[in-house]
Amino acid sequence: MRRRDGVTVAVFVGIFVLLAVALAPFAWNVLTSFKEKGEYFTYPPVFVPSSFDLEHYVRGLHLGGAKGIKDSFIIASLTTLLAIALGSLAAYSLSRFRIGGDNFAFWILSVRMMPPIASVLPLFLFFRFLRWLDTYQALIFTYALVNIPFAVWMMKGFFDELPVELEEAALIDGCGRLGAFVRVALPLVAPGLVATALFCFMFSWNEFLFALILGRSRVVPITVNIAGLIGGHEILWAEISAVSIVASVPIIVLAILLQRYLVRGLTLGAVKG
Amino acid sequence: MGGLRKRDWWMAFLFVLPVVVILLAISIFPMVYSFYLSLCRWDIGMGGQRTFIGAGNYLRLFSDARFFNSLKNTGRVLLFGVGTQFALGLSLALLLNRSFRGRSLVVTLFLLPMMISPVVVGCIWKIIYHYQYGPLNYLLNLLGIRSVNWLGSGSISPYSIVLADIWEWTPFMVITLLAGLQAIPDDLYEAARVDGANRWQIFSGVVFPLLRPVVIIAILIRVMDAFKIFDLVVLLTMGGPGQASESVAFYNYLTGFKYFSMGYASAMSYVQLAVIVAIANVFLRSFKGRAVV
Amino acid sequence: MRKFLLFLFAFVLLASVAYASPVKLVVVGDAGHNLKPFEWYAKDLKEKFDVELEVIGVPFGELYEKEKVELIAGTGAFDIMIVFPKFLAEFAANGWLYPLDEFVAKLDPKLDDVTPGYRDFYCKYGGKLYALPYDGDVLSLYYRKDLLENEEERKAFKEKYGYDLKVPETWDEYLDVAEFFTRKAGEKLAGEVLQRDFYGTAYYGQKDQIFAWWGNIFASLGGVYFDEETMEPAINSEAGVKALEIMKEIHKYCPPDVLAYGYEELKDVFLNGDCFMVIQWPCVGKKGADPAQSKIVGKIGVSHVPGVKKDGEIYYRAMMPCGRVLAIAAQSKDPWKAYQVIHYLSVVTSLDDVSTPETGLDPYRYSHFAHPEAYEMFANVEDAKIYLAGVQKNMEKGYPEMVLPGTVEYEETLGVALTKALAGELDPKSALDEAAQAWRDILERFGKEQQKALYQELVKGWKAVGLW
Repeated sequence: MRRRDGVTVAVFVGIFVLLAVALAPFAWNVLTSFKEKGEYFTYPPVFVPSSFDLEHYVRGLHLGGAKGIKDSFIIASLTTLLAIALGSLAAYSLSRFRIGGDNFAFWILSVRMMPPIASVLPLFLFFRFLRWLDTYQALIFTYALVNIPFAVWMMKGFFDELPVELEEAALIDGCGRLGAFVRVALPLVAPGLVATALFCFMFSWNEFLFALILGRSRVVPITVNIAGLIGGHEILWAEISAVSIVASVPIIVLAILLQRYLVRGLTLGAVKG
Repeated sequence: MGGLRKRDWWMAFLFVLPVVVILLAISIFPMVYSFYLSLCRWDIGMGGQRTFIGAGNYLRLFSDARFFNSLKNTGRVLLFGVGTQFALGLSLALLLNRSFRGRSLVVTLFLLPMMISPVVVGCIWKIIYHYQYGPLNYLLNLLGIRSVNWLGSGSISPYSIVLADIWEWTPFMVITLLAGLQAIPDDLYEAARVDGANRWQIFSGVVFPLLRPVVIIAILIRVMDAFKIFDLVVLLTMGGPGQASESVAFYNYLTGFKYFSMGYASAMSYVQLAVIVAIANVFLRSFKGRAVV
Repeated sequence: MRKFLLFLFAFVLLASVAYASPVKLVVVGDAGHNLKPFEWYAKDLKEKFDVELEVIGVPFGELYEKEKVELIAGTGAFDIMIVFPKFLAEFAANGWLYPLDEFVAKLDPKLDDVTPGYRDFYCKYGGKLYALPYDGDVLSLYYRKDLLENEEERKAFKEKYGYDLKVPETWDEYLDVAEFFTRKAGEKLAGEVLQRDFYGTAYYGQKDQIFAWWGNIFASLGGVYFDEETMEPAINSEAGVKALEIMKEIHKYCPPDVLAYGYEELKDVFLNGDCFMVIQWPCVGKKGADPAQSKIVGKIGVSHVPGVKKDGEIYYRAMMPCGRVLAIAAQSKDPWKAYQVIHYLSVVTSLDDVSTPETGLDPYRYSHFAHPEAYEMFANVEDAKIYLAGVQKNMEKGYPEMVLPGTVEYEETLGVALTKALAGELDPKSALDEAAQAWRDILERFGKEQQKALYQELVKGWKAVGLW
């Protein structure tokens, strides 16, 4: 069926061009991470830096980048786990039992719509009351506000897709409801779970405002650390790029590892056939 | 699945309980507190006395031209930004929806822009857009096109922000829509082809209707996030020149965390919430029936 | 008895532990090189004052809100705070800062050595001392010495304008020189054909600080922020409109994207050799001496910002935007120790800290200006002398930012109006009228009477040092 006709060629050219456009700024970021002070803003622009040593990487990681990556990793992983675990339970309930109806589902989503500005100060006061300022759990739960609704809605889509008959068969075989959920439904949507997790992880990894206000010195996520490299008299462009590249490695590795699931994953749930 | 039996109801209840508890526990205080603030005048610059003024902040919003200007700019991001992301994302997803060697690699590469934190995306594009020293104008010049004043012109800078946003978030659309496309069984295409449908008829008659639920979720999530666009605005233009490219989230940030008019900022947040809830509702309702929801 | 002994023992133990462990003080400031001195002297400070420092760097752009949220909530998280002077009044007015007057007698902060702007406006509030200076920012005029001395250019200038080419001292001269040096690609500059456009000047165009570039002109024309009797905004006065008109003229000789210019862009266009002169912060002079980031090493001249001629004398006022001072939180665990620390940095080590390329700190004491040999970044003492003399001239006539509570909002709304006029959306008068209206609203919200009282106090201080 796959013909090497004009259309196919056009398709590949199209993909190639768009890929080039998508990658150019990323490549620029990589190149910037090796540039020296005089090479950021000049005419003509410097495309290839004069040296490719890793000094900016070392410096960037020393200026708190390493700790930032660690903190972000802890926060993003835990909040993702939380969102996925609880989100899929709720999603299952919404999908199978329509509990609370459409309005309830929409309420969950609407929590994600709250503009952050209004909630930063109250949350600060709230966590202060709990003595949670400058701790991981403050950010983990704050991000849960964004990630749980996201996970619920995505997972609900996946569960909607699953033919009910499979679980009913399990019920007849003597599995309880819980058994049907754990042994039948969950494994089937595992790919969807993975894809949703990746997006949750990314949302938490990239958040800045709450990280800034709720952290202090024990918890300094990577976004805050990178913003700290934008100084009043001095912007450490190369270090910013270097740290950002190192910081994107975990997500990229994750994406590559989960790649097969990623595409197949969303497939299952998102479409109502 | 028929009617809910009592045991099932308990189970369903227990399944949603943790989510409800967490969401309520963390969001209820901020929601109530900031709603109360939105009814107060609280300019923390001085002394910090809080006075209850009822709807005063909301009334002030309606006469604040800068607020409407920022809403307009955010609307621009929604319309052109998310719109283009969808169009591009769909075309790319269609292109990638055929198997060829190295497809996994290509798909992963398309994900890269989304994986850099927004702060850094701003930094990268700030250099790229620079009028004299940026690579973009340099390349345009090589092609014989005159330099574009990306960030220094009030009529262009809002679109420069949109462009950077498109770059950053198109991958989200690609991945989500590609997944949706892959779920469509091959035999449906075959059947349509046997019936003599051409490419466009297959797309509009078979593919798109099936894809619709994914489209809705993808657009909805993107609209919600684009409505909060902030980092790019701060880093690229600071909302400038003047207020030409201020987004509503940026203006909200200014009032809340630079001017510290907390009451006014809270009111602004609530109006934003109302707007986005309305948009989402209209959106979902217009797709109701066949939608995932 | 045994119980008592046990108690005594426990008490002694506790006391000795308390005695032995140094006081831990938390320092907060904008992340990056300006916090380095706190790390350099950590050992000295521990030995001398028995304090241990924990330094928290917050992104520069968000330092204010981070500090303020913690202060509003009263977390007591910080002891020593780097504060931008424009926020000092606001922090002090809310009672968040510890007044330092009681310590001055014990340990002299040598305030007489500090230039008047920093001494009287940026460290004090309501007659009390709340901070010690740390970084002295002031705007100065940086120009291309080499082009100014070029014979060919001098001849051409004289022919065109009828007087000798020199460092512009008035705004009229500034406009002439800016116009003269604005060249298109292909034209000649100092005998060489230009590969790309060359600009007469440039300014900071982003709305957060643009007020200062307008302010240089406004203040030299005798402009003031408010009428001190009625508290009517005076920015839309004749002086204000005139200043904006001059700025619109200047705008013609700037790069087309100047309204997107922040600190970085303004520095780069000058140090890349694409612009004849800029009004900028002192660190540009220091960076200009570094071959790694400057293409015009040794070609930079520094002078006072232009002004107006009055009775045969040049009347000029240089804005002092930004700057940094060290303050102590009211909730600090040990204000006296904290004071000793900031005293050490502001008095004892300050010359070292402002003269090294390792920090971004700039001179603010007369003793800093008296030691050109200390500034290692310059290739020779002569260059350092030119630099310091130029900066000092501006420092002595430094015109303070408004330091009332609400300053950010005043400055931002003014900035928005200025950009509207410069982008051609509004004429200068209506733009400034709009800003004045916005200022009236702010006054209303913050409490006009209170603001008036504070403002009058400021004016009294300004008059006392002859800057009004």
